[in-house]
Amino acid sequence: MERKKWYAFGTREVVYSALGAALYGVLSFATNMLALPAAGNVALRPAVCIPMFFGVAFGPWVGFISGFLGNVIGDALSGWGFWFWWDLGNGLMGLIPGFAASMITDYRATRSFVIADLFAILGVVVGMGLASLSEMWVSGVDLSTAIVGYFVPAALTNIINGIILVPILMVAYAAIVGRTGR
Amino acid sequence: MLIAWRYRERNTLIQKLDPRARWIFLLAVMFSVIQFWDIRFLAFFMGLSLMYYLLARLTWKETRRVWTFVLILVVVIIGINAVITGRGGPTEILRGAGHVLWEAQWVVPGVGWTIHPIITVEKIVFALAQMMRMLTIAILFIPVAFTFNPNHYGVTFRRLGLPDKVAFSMDLAFRFVPTLARDFNLTLDAQRARGYEVEKLEGGLLAQIRKMAPLIVPVTINAIVGAEDIVNAMDLRCFGLRPRTWLHELRYAPRDYVLIGFSVLLLVGSILVRALLRVGDLWVPDAVLRLFGF
Repeated sequence: MERKKWYAFGTREVVYSALGAALYGVLSFATNMLALPAAGNVALRPAVCIPMFFGVAFGPWVGFISGFLGNVIGDALSGWGFWFWWDLGNGLMGLIPGFAASMITDYRATRSFVIADLFAILGVVVGMGLASLSEMWVSGVDLSTAIVGYFVPAALTNIINGIILVPILMVAYAAIVGRTGR
Repeated sequence: MLIAWRYRERNTLIQKLDPRARWIFLLAVMFSVIQFWDIRFLAFFMGLSLMYYLLARLTWKETRRVWTFVLILVVVIIGINAVITGRGGPTEILRGAGHVLWEAQWVVPGVGWTIHPIITVEKIVFALAQMMRMLTIAILFIPVAFTFNPNHYGVTFRRLGLPDKVAFSMDLAFRFVPTLARDFNLTLDAQRARGYEVEKLEGGLLAQIRKMAPLIVPVTINAIVGAEDIVNAMDLRCFGLRPRTWLHELRYAPRDYVLIGFSVLLLVGSILVRALLRVGDLWVPDAVLRLFGF
């Protein structure tokens, strides 16, 4: 299969970025509204797997736009306003797994799952790390508050959701990837 | 479950402004306010944000949820800050021990960690400044979801300089939302008909997340399959070969130029005040010190 350059942004990327963002926004809103069960104070936010998966499947720009714009859409649907640094953090959660896209050829292989999960974890750490640390200059919290109050709760749940759901989506995607002929 | 935009036409001054001018204003105020810790400056920015918020004419009913969340966040974060920071507040902002009002020392049983909360006058003023900063930014950005037309995001950011393809991607994303929301509802109903109870997922956290797959996977994969047709249709129409035109064209009115000019002035003024005059650091009024008997 012909491999595109990682920074390419053609028609396919335009459509999948939009799709990823809309899916992330709708699923975030819908799963919030369903009042899903949670363990302790760790809330389920399964939709975070969408930008990670779109990054892994379609590259970093698609992952970034899915995360960034998806968070904006989710907030627009819920009426939460606009939180630039958290939108950017969500974008990075999709961008970084996108760098794994060129290393993955078989979406069913265990090696691919490991690579995708490792990049997803890195994406969460960088993305939520940036968003949490931004509170130091936006809200004036100190480092320990940024870590305890923002980073740990956000990163922990996103990592758990990502490492479970991204491989499941990869297996499902493997079944249709051959049909597209691209 | 109804998935609907919070936006609606309100015939307000805010909505009559060009969306580009409004984004420039919002970003200019945000980058100005985060430079200051002096409550006098923060009071000015808070007043400005409040005026903007009131002009948006949002009702308490529609913003109640977000305000509850914001207020809880402000209280929790300031609370955590007060308990776990050492000598009266973040060292970047507060220097020295300050005027101590109360202190305690607790040892966490089992691990032996020591918690040493200290409340100082400076820390109380800092908490007030922090609260004002957080609320100013919240007041400023909460109206975004309620007052910006989702159909205009694409053209707005294109005219603000974003590349054509990225702007169109934004536009397309907002158009996908109703279709995907309908697909999600259909999938949810179909899975419920098969006995899937999303509200009663059993097992531990990991098992519960895994059991979300029957809901997320069909919606995602169906959407991807459908998107291939859109890609083909766009390619056949030579998408991306020439600059796009937009159905909705934006035009600046004189009031938009006034707002943009004010925004630029505000941001440049704030930078100059901080960089050249070196004012705007945390300010503890003498009246507050006297109030606490210092």
